[in-house]
Amino acid sequence: MIFDRPTSSELIKAVMDFLDTKIKDELPPHLAFKLRITNNVLGMVQREIDQGETLQQEVYDAMQNLMHSDELTTKKLSELIKDGKIDLKDEDLKDLLAILSKNKIAVDNPNYSTYKKLIK
Amino acid sequence: MQEELASALSKKLLEVGIEGKVSNLEPLTGGASKEIWKFEISNAKQSTKMILRRGSGIEGPLAIKTADEARIQKEVIKVGAPVPKILAVSKNEEELGDSYIMHFVEGESIARKILRDKEYKKALPILAYQCGEAIAKIHNVDINNFSFLPKKPAKDQLEDLYSTYQSFEQPSPVFEYAYLWLKEQDFGNFQKSLVHGDFRLGNIIVNADGLQSIIDWELAHIGNPLQDLGWVCGNSWRFGKNDKVVGGFGELEDLLEGYNSVSKLKVNKEMVKCWQVFGTFRWGVICLIQAYAHLNGTINSIEKAAIGRRVSETEIDIVDLLFLGGE
Repeated sequence: MIFDRPTSSELIKAVMDFLDTKIKDELPPHLAFKLRITNNVLGMVQREIDQGETLQQEVYDAMQNLMHSDELTTKKLSELIKDGKIDLKDEDLKDLLAILSKNKIAVDNPNYSTYKKLIK
Repeated sequence: MQEELASALSKKLLEVGIEGKVSNLEPLTGGASKEIWKFEISNAKQSTKMILRRGSGIEGPLAIKTADEARIQKEVIKVGAPVPKILAVSKNEEELGDSYIMHFVEGESIARKILRDKEYKKALPILAYQCGEAIAKIHNVDINNFSFLPKKPAKDQLEDLYSTYQSFEQPSPVFEYAYLWLKEQDFGNFQKSLVHGDFRLGNIIVNADGLQSIIDWELAHIGNPLQDLGWVCGNSWRFGKNDKVVGGFGELEDLLEGYNSVSKLKVNKEMVKCWQVFGTFRWGVICLIQAYAHLNGTINSIEKAAIGRRVSETEIDIVDLLFLGGE
């Protein structure tokens, strides 16, 4: 890594804090609503930077077990399902889809109710 | 600009015999594709609150014409379903544009407020039953009045949704699975009905006594009546209240009891399940449509960009419903 601190994640955190402490209260309601979305979006980017690699690797490991292919991608997995190459009743497939979904939502929205219920 | 709008409103209302001065014109946050204005019209005798609902020129991809929404409201009010009374309809080429004016209904439509505020605490336990009754009334309407609405049988919709999803070339293993699963389901061969298409918190008005009005008919179509029941039971519309299957406020048993008290159909819990999965998949594809409107440069919008990352909410909901015992 040739880049100095603040890291990209720390820079995003600084922007989020700035928006939250200095800008939020200055805005009329319809823009305050958009600012909340903006902050959510920055949170996604921050989590993807911080945890993305690990979350992705977990999914690849699960794919390795099931797919027996050099191409471990969601595209390839989608094709295998579509073309009937994996039995829909296969428990390993269900587990894989579960871990894929959990690891995606862990970045996109870890406060989502179904995710919180499932990791309890 | 507001003065011009006020003058266009009073002119339009005069055409239908309502005379008065327009005041307190204010924009309300509506859906993504519609403008909503609240205003008052007053004359010597009285002052009445009204709503203007107007197409913004950027219609949602599944949406019907604004004027057709008004035609539906005029019909369903006759069978006792709670909808705001339509006062005037304006064509696209008129000064007001593609829009209609209706009575303002007192109450709240914002989901999080309804679920959180004290005022609605007594309404929430009876709301699912009331919604069931109201949905059944909508489904009982004579569909011969709605030849202008698109006909969307379950299987056709499923194919449309799947090809829309495919067109974005962003493969989702969960959606592929859901599509194959849904293809095998029996959606029930019921008489074709008027389907609201987006019945949930956000599109109904609630006060301390419960359901007051059903709004936002832009996804209405002719199809399988169970679609509305499955849709309102999707986790996407529970606003964090995962344990309350119906809209984040009620129990499925209550919704069905209300529904069955009015409908000729006798719907049970098992019949709703595949429609829950269907609805969740449908919402996932709508999220994709919105996100790609931003990504393709049609509309530059932070909301639409953000909604692309809500597709994963529908994926985990589908996984939960199909494999993990979710309800």
